[in-house]
Amino acid sequence: MKNPSRSAADGGALLWTTCIMAILSLFATEVLRAVSGRFQLGMQVAKWQESLIAAESGIDLAIVELRKSLYPTPNGAWDGWTNSPGAGVISHGLTTIPNAGLAGTPMTIEVDVDAPAQLIDPVNGWQYYRVRTLGWVPLTGPPRIGYNKQDNHLRKLTLRVQRYIDDLFTSETSAPHAARRLEAIVAPVSSFGQAILSMGTLDLNNQNIVVDSYDSRDPTKSTNGLYDVAKRQENGDIATDGNLIQAGNAHVYGDVETNSGTATGVANVTGVQRTDFYQAPIPIAAPSWPSINPTPSVVNGTVTLNASATQGAPSSRYVLNGITTSGNQTLTLAGNADGSPSYIEIYVNGDVSVAGNSQIVLGNGVRATIYFSGNVDIGGRGMLNPNDQPSDLLLYGIQPTDSSPRHVSLGGNGQITAAVYAPDFDVTINGGGTTGHVFGSVVGKTTSMTGVTNLHYDEALAATGLINNYRIVSWIEDTR
Amino acid sequence: MKTAGVNRSAFLLVEMMVSVVIFSVICMGLLMGMISLQRNFVATTDFATNHADAIRISDYLALDLRRALTVQAAQNNTTITVPSYYDTNGVPRTPTLDGSGGVYYGSSSSSVSVHYYLLGGTIYRQEGTSPTVAIADNVRDFIFDVTDSGKVVTTRITFTSIFTRAGASAADLGLPGTSSATAVYNTTLLRNTRSDIVSGVY
Repeated sequence: MKNPSRSAADGGALLWTTCIMAILSLFATEVLRAVSGRFQLGMQVAKWQESLIAAESGIDLAIVELRKSLYPTPNGAWDGWTNSPGAGVISHGLTTIPNAGLAGTPMTIEVDVDAPAQLIDPVNGWQYYRVRTLGWVPLTGPPRIGYNKQDNHLRKLTLRVQRYIDDLFTSETSAPHAARRLEAIVAPVSSFGQAILSMGTLDLNNQNIVVDSYDSRDPTKSTNGLYDVAKRQENGDIATDGNLIQAGNAHVYGDVETNSGTATGVANVTGVQRTDFYQAPIPIAAPSWPSINPTPSVVNGTVTLNASATQGAPSSRYVLNGITTSGNQTLTLAGNADGSPSYIEIYVNGDVSVAGNSQIVLGNGVRATIYFSGNVDIGGRGMLNPNDQPSDLLLYGIQPTDSSPRHVSLGGNGQITAAVYAPDFDVTINGGGTTGHVFGSVVGKTTSMTGVTNLHYDEALAATGLINNYRIVSWIEDTR
Repeated sequence: MKTAGVNRSAFLLVEMMVSVVIFSVICMGLLMGMISLQRNFVATTDFATNHADAIRISDYLALDLRRALTVQAAQNNTTITVPSYYDTNGVPRTPTLDGSGGVYYGSSSSSVSVHYYLLGGTIYRQEGTSPTVAIADNVRDFIFDVTDSGKVVTTRITFTSIFTRAGASAADLGLPGTSSATAVYNTTLLRNTRSDIVSGVY
């Protein structure tokens, strides 16, 4: 027999259960709605930030290729890109990096590098490069916009239709993704960016040395283009890729920089001390000139080599097996009689020795570049640079093809005015004349100064010589 | 006529009173629980909304600081200048060498000012002469601090949480000016060389 009261009780329990389940479901739905929206916002923010990392990586990729191009060929620069960037030529690269995080979404990096004509420095002809990058990361989850339109205004995500900006990049699709676009201007950096740069130990221990700077281009920082102690500047930086600078309490009017190393005797350093320095020692390859002046093939005694008013003219390019002078012999690098600018390039594939009372003399207006692969010993009366401009005498050490040690020793009784880039050579400066003044910049494998009291770095050198690096001088995000 | 006797059972008054009391206690507990849940939900939602606002403000500031040329930092009132990258049509310009190793966009020494400020419970951002844009509404209790350290700039955004409990400290409550749990920090490396200070470090 049916029990009415029992049936009513069962129905009531079912009703109660249904009501409670409905209420709990409402709660769960509301919580899920709120949480999923926040979660999606969090994911979108993370993807938006990751796309910036992707875009910045694109700038790094471009700079890596630019730096590769500085090495002797074959250097592999721009391999895998569409072109080498040049006037009117855009180099285009596209990279996709697998990503283990954030739902396994990859990041895509698209880079365009070009060399606009208006980014050529009229002073030295250096080309600045424009690097434009796109970084984008797919968005996971449903293509929903955020709760707050202000978030959408900031992050400008692509959810269903690609936001068209211009034709510069092609990898973007209409699939949901976050994208960032950057533009950086990359400038060349000279081999002579510091007063002293050493790949290894830098030793200033021998004397009470002063290292400071001036700028021969600026009358407020020099007098008639020459060093003036009253206008001393504090950019006489000394640096090492190694981990030891023995400053010997030298008066350094500039920074002291090591590669995670230590600097001793830095009581008289006016600038900052950094331990995060590293600059790749770009090797110098032997010149491969298509045409040269064949005579002489060696200098052994008093000789005159003629410069040319045209830079790179074959008549002013010499390949010598060595330079040896002694006694009162003189190697003259003769220019124009009126002292107007003239140029000479010399490649010495042997040793350079200036001894006794001999001397290397630059004529007025001569701008000399000397490449050497052997040892260099400059003594005697040293090198006469009549206009006292270090940029007029640039010395480059060729990367040795064997492991035997090489050295450069600059001394003698005359004032030294030159810039030396020899990252594979042990460089010793032990001259500077009776006043002990050396004007210029020194880059060596190891570098030591003995018997010298003053090294004055001409900041104008930072805009001349061989390009040794690239650096970002402008960075901007395209927020369209 | 005498009705037929029916055997009716009933609760005693005492039983009724006890059951009513128990029911009342349970209902009160449920009600208080519901109220507490509701308050917690509202507070959590408010916190999440405020946190999203703080993240947005922080991202806006970082966006402009990365490309900044100058920074004038003050509490709830910060001005950043950025390169004049766009022409009047909104198209990016090609830069020009400045003769000192750098470049500029537009005319020499030109830049665009970006102003962030809190006014009437809203944080605004104005870029150049463009219309002011509200980047966060209902943020009367927000404070954004910008600490200028030269090459890096740190932003700190705090708001007042509506979570309360007895004995809660100011920091727990997220009161402005305290080292609170609501603070959103962001340290940004300025990519460009600043024109308003001299930095020999980088």
